[in-house]
Amino acid sequence: MKKSPIYSSRTKLFLFLYILLIPLLHQKLVAGVTFDPPQTTITGTVTDMDGLPLGGVNVVLESTNQGAISDMDGTYRIEAGPNGTLVFSIVGFKSLNVPIEGRNVIDVQLEEDVTQLGEVVLNAGYYTVSEKERTGNISTIKADIIEKQPVANPLAAMQGQLSGVNIAQTTGLPGGGFNIEVRGRNFINGATDPLFIVDGVPFGSQSLGASRVSGQIIGGSISPLNAINPNDIESIEVLKDADATAIYGSRGANGVVLITTKKGRAGKTRFDAHLSTTLGKVSRFLDLMDTEQYLEVRREGITNDGYGDLLEDPGFDFFWPDVKLWDNNRYTDWQKELIGGTSYRNNAQLSVSGGNDLTQFLISGSYQKETTVFPGDSNYQKANLRSNINHQSENARFKINLSIGYTNENNKMPTVDFTSKAYSLEPNAPRIYDDEGNINWENNTWDNPLASLEETYKSTSNTLISNALVSYEVTSNLEFRSNMGFTDYRLDSYRAMPSSARNPGLGVTPQNYSHLITNASQRVSWIVEPQLNWRKDWNGVALDLLVGTTFQEETMEQLVQRGLGFPNNGLLENLAAAENLQVFSDTDGKYKYNALFGRINVNLLNRYILNLTGRRDGSSRFGPGKQFGNFGAVGLAWIFSKERLFSEGSLLSFGKLRASYGSTGSDNIGDYRFLDTYQVSGNNYNGVTVLEPTGIYNPRFSWEENNKLEAALELGFFKDRLLVNTSWYRNRSSNQLVGIPLAATTGFAELTGNFDAVVENTGLEVDLRTVNIQSKGFNWSTTLNLTVPKSKLVAFDGLKNSTFANRYSIGQPLTIVKLYHALGVDPETGAYTFEDYNGDGDINRAEDRQWIEDLAPKFYGGFGNSLSLGNLTMDVLFQFKKQKAYNTLRFDATPGYKGNTPAELYNRWEEPGDVKPIQRASGGLAGGEDLGSLQEDSNASISDASFVRLRNISLTYKVPSMRPGLDMKVYLQGQNLWTLTNYEGPDPEQPSSTRLPPLRQITLGVQISF
Amino acid sequence: MKHSEYINTLDVALLRSLLKPYPTLKKSCLLISAILVMGCADFVEVQPPKNTLVSETVFNDAATVESALANLYYDMREQGMVSGAFGLTTAMGIYSDELDYYGFSADYVQLFQHNVLPGNGAVLEWWRQAYHLIYGANDIIKGVDGTDGLTTVEKNSFKGQALFIRAYLHSLLVSVFGDVPYVETTDYLKTNTVVRTDVDEVNDLIIADLEAALVLLEGTAPVSDERIYPDQNVVKALLARMHLYIGYWEEAAAMATELIDDFPLESDLNQVFLKGSQETIWQLKADNESPKNTREAEQLIIQSVPGQTYALTNDLLNAFEADDLRRDQWVNGISDMDNTVTYYYAHKYKAGINENEALEYSILFRSAEQMLIRAEARIRLGDIVGAQSDLNAIRNRAGLANTMASTQNEILDAIINERRFELFTEQGHRWFDLKRLGKADEILGQFKPNWKATDVRLPIPESELDTNPNLLPQNPGY
Repeated sequence: MKKSPIYSSRTKLFLFLYILLIPLLHQKLVAGVTFDPPQTTITGTVTDMDGLPLGGVNVVLESTNQGAISDMDGTYRIEAGPNGTLVFSIVGFKSLNVPIEGRNVIDVQLEEDVTQLGEVVLNAGYYTVSEKERTGNISTIKADIIEKQPVANPLAAMQGQLSGVNIAQTTGLPGGGFNIEVRGRNFINGATDPLFIVDGVPFGSQSLGASRVSGQIIGGSISPLNAINPNDIESIEVLKDADATAIYGSRGANGVVLITTKKGRAGKTRFDAHLSTTLGKVSRFLDLMDTEQYLEVRREGITNDGYGDLLEDPGFDFFWPDVKLWDNNRYTDWQKELIGGTSYRNNAQLSVSGGNDLTQFLISGSYQKETTVFPGDSNYQKANLRSNINHQSENARFKINLSIGYTNENNKMPTVDFTSKAYSLEPNAPRIYDDEGNINWENNTWDNPLASLEETYKSTSNTLISNALVSYEVTSNLEFRSNMGFTDYRLDSYRAMPSSARNPGLGVTPQNYSHLITNASQRVSWIVEPQLNWRKDWNGVALDLLVGTTFQEETMEQLVQRGLGFPNNGLLENLAAAENLQVFSDTDGKYKYNALFGRINVNLLNRYILNLTGRRDGSSRFGPGKQFGNFGAVGLAWIFSKERLFSEGSLLSFGKLRASYGSTGSDNIGDYRFLDTYQVSGNNYNGVTVLEPTGIYNPRFSWEENNKLEAALELGFFKDRLLVNTSWYRNRSSNQLVGIPLAATTGFAELTGNFDAVVENTGLEVDLRTVNIQSKGFNWSTTLNLTVPKSKLVAFDGLKNSTFANRYSIGQPLTIVKLYHALGVDPETGAYTFEDYNGDGDINRAEDRQWIEDLAPKFYGGFGNSLSLGNLTMDVLFQFKKQKAYNTLRFDATPGYKGNTPAELYNRWEEPGDVKPIQRASGGLAGGEDLGSLQEDSNASISDASFVRLRNISLTYKVPSMRPGLDMKVYLQGQNLWTLTNYEGPDPEQPSSTRLPPLRQITLGVQISF
Repeated sequence: MKHSEYINTLDVALLRSLLKPYPTLKKSCLLISAILVMGCADFVEVQPPKNTLVSETVFNDAATVESALANLYYDMREQGMVSGAFGLTTAMGIYSDELDYYGFSADYVQLFQHNVLPGNGAVLEWWRQAYHLIYGANDIIKGVDGTDGLTTVEKNSFKGQALFIRAYLHSLLVSVFGDVPYVETTDYLKTNTVVRTDVDEVNDLIIADLEAALVLLEGTAPVSDERIYPDQNVVKALLARMHLYIGYWEEAAAMATELIDDFPLESDLNQVFLKGSQETIWQLKADNESPKNTREAEQLIIQSVPGQTYALTNDLLNAFEADDLRRDQWVNGISDMDNTVTYYYAHKYKAGINENEALEYSILFRSAEQMLIRAEARIRLGDIVGAQSDLNAIRNRAGLANTMASTQNEILDAIINERRFELFTEQGHRWFDLKRLGKADEILGQFKPNWKATDVRLPIPESELDTNPNLLPQNPGY
């Protein structure tokens, strides 16, 4: 007789529940009946050692559920018997136990907790863990640090703050995106985005932008995280190792970022108003040629190409208007003109919070408007409303927390980023406006860059993130909890291209040119996660069990269409006025995800800790039979400082060794990729819609795997005033989903499948925190984080024959580029020369690109100091990175082309015998000798781009209290103020010639609370 | 088994007694257990998205198969060798002696100057695009065979069209590259490691496919009266061409004869390339939005000087006979502002980018070619009178007197020469003629400074040799 699978799983279930429930029964039997003594009301005030009132302090009658929270003026009120003990606690202060001893008024002073570890509690997603007892690697940044940074995106606030987390801003424009990598790139296939979870709800961080609409302005990347106001954030935790991430299974491979928003506190109703203004400017400009240099090089180039005589022939003036038709004495600093403006950001936020012991609330609204450094009136506006309600039943068994956040963003920008024009417009290019103030086309000889101000890019996004967390304490040991979330992200954007923005010489009209491209996208997801949590403390043994399940569904829709043929440009923003409608893409996607997860945590004597986590995941992204995968991790910690060897007075106040090993996965590969499919391409033949084959059936399509190993040593000295955490990790990713290149004879260029390739990321992370001085009037503390990452491709079967053959090498990181080896300019011919690796006498093949450079950082980190003197606080954060990056030769290595270039190209070869770094000029005309494109693809285009940057400085002055309960702070903050680097390109953080570099920003703000 | 049952009953009893005092717990436990037992497999299965169809579904419905075929016609019009911006018309025009190149594309400069590298992007695109379409055709051939959702008439029509397209694309590939794989399956495990097929065998396979298509398309009603889908006549036209190229003169003459009467030559040269031309056998309908006319006109017509990309070579212009009306009506010139320089361009298609009305489609087969095919086949067979008469039909239409050629060799040369003027800038006819007749060395050797005898074949794209080493060796000379 065969057991049916259902039958056996049921057996397991009952066994499981049996184990789970036995202790409950036990407790019920032993619980005796006690008689409560008569209650009296006890009142008092809580202050800090300076005598300032402390609000929000938890006051609990020991071994009961009774509790209260002190008001902002420090007063509290609690019902208690005469023989109990009150426990006062708040983060950042030492807890205090005060026996009541019959008193009715008890005033207490709390001592600040020098030991920084204190009782810091970390959010680990499905559970919380104290900083001291964690077995995994969790980095955190709290509100106090986030608030001090004048940024609009939570990711910006994390830059330089966390070890193992490498974040770079992709554009200086408001509303743009960020690249984030947690412990390096694990997958050949690219995606490095960690899993983002906002208040328990997974939040898709992938942009829904369409490159046809926003590609030229913010790189098509619109970070949905912009919807989260950094000021609303209580803490951000980044889960890095297996112990912390395995419970996220197939989505944990790239790390997990948990964002927790602020909650209300009990006490009298409190208003908090925030006003700030930020000024931003481009921090670095390129050194470009002036008109004289430019024209000299240009003429020389055309002549070198053999067109010197035509240059003198007026019939050909049309070919080189910059040299022949435009004013040769004119000079415009286009960088100043196009990206030299000042951007303003005004931010106003008001929040109200309060409540009583049972119910607390927080409602916050904010509005922000940010302009750009471009000419014109482009701006980005964001309005955000958030509310959080917390309630618990009288007996504190039932708890509910509801949080809802809604954000509306309106981004109105030019359709193109002016940066590349600013770097490349001819210095003698004509003036922008003619005498009548109209766009000047200079007899149709140029494309006026500001004409694109006539074009509009506008995007509106609405984001709703809502979450409810319900819990019920069945017994004091067992809690049932369920997390329910719903997110709705809508993006509507369009790009309007009127004919009036084009050179009239092209003869375009609203009918034959004007067009409007729209993108309407939406991503909706819901999640339900019921969980059971059972805890029990025996003498010295604590057991914590968690089991839960996840149901998640995400749907995505995107409609990108174009309207063509408008009666006039005035009607351009109305798609209905278009004569022709063309649908580029009408896509939808559905992702379903289901999982079972659990955790077993055993804590022996507060000293030996074992943490087991696991998850079984099912995802719709994989073919039948491949949908499920198992992931798990084991974490161990030994707090050796609690051993007898280390006495109370020892130098070492805290010592912990921990290690973890486990597996996670990644299904971050797009939906439906295993099917053989046809897609509507949006085209037609003779009116018949075209169905195009887009995929070959491939059931061999499964998870990517990622095994993480970590060992760490955490040490605290001098009563934890010096804390050093050192972690070493090794992540190995295998079963890589890559496009396996196919021969074209298959009909396709590639097929996505699991490839036997292994990528290894190892690294060392050091986090140092010290309290240098702590006295009544002056405090000084320092933090330092340092990450030394290393990455390599360990194995890749068939790399040689794959499309990656020219990109990757075994033993090298994924971040390498293969380049020609530049040997300088031949003094005789004036041409660039290169090493001929394959010796065939030609420099043109992939085999000649054998020079390897790694563009990943060698090390990076942040160094922060916080000083406070009386009412004045100063925070300074330096960010540093050792890395290489493409320099300006990457986008121009030949002098003489039409369009300006960096001034370094002026130093060119002119006649035989010249020893110069730059080749002879060429106008880029057919027949001319020009190896510039090879130089652009050589090691000469790489240079050191290491930098030390004053990422953030913040000065806060707390205005002496005018009356109790009124707090006022004035602050001055600077972002990206100063950079030390040898790099000569636009910005070492974001070396691109086409995107606006991150801005330098200064903020002045005031915060009033009452 | 007994053991497990025992545990089970025991547990159920235990659980019940345990749960009694905890009604809430009971509910939540039931919820959890329900979830655990339910199994998750159903939950994580999703339907394909609305913009995607699984192959199986495509072939269950005639309308979706038509859409899959529409993809082939659309792609032929827009991409690859057949038409579009990078078709053979311009590329082989500059590779032979028809067109001069003034553009800046490095790939095209290589073609023009006869120093094509194995990594040439244009050549790679031809290869890729052709096999991508061949996959599409093969998937249709396979798909309609295995479905119950279509009538036999529908199946025959679809399969016939797909077979024709497979044959047609292979005929272009073999002309450009020499030995190429003849791909007849969609199984990527096979097509990924395929080997090259000998030219003769490719030709045989093309003819076999065409003959199969001829049978399948027998009696199928035309999908449109605009001659924009391949039907039996189109198959015959390609068969005639293939037979001529291979040297099956009788078959070539017979096939051409079957078409010539049904597709009489237009008497007015200005009518030949209009969409309603009676001599058109097959044309690709232009986009109904933009451009409303042909990609050929878009590329060949020079809008302004300077600014030209292609212009007719002086060699070709000077070779026209004095009274040739084609020199007047199929060629046009444009000068720069000072009238210092004039460039000439093919003006067969006259509806340029500024034309808002749909006047012309891209013609791939027309009966003038069939007439010349028959003339050539006849002269090879020794039929001097027949050959002269066919040749004269073409000449007379162009306003020229009857040919003076009288011997077999003279007439053959005259026919080949006539092809140059009748078929210039049409899908690389000139190049294919020079190549198949072994005249490339002699003629292009004088005309192109870099000419090498090995240039008669373009290189197999380098990246393809890397991905599938079975395609090695590379064509000689690269």
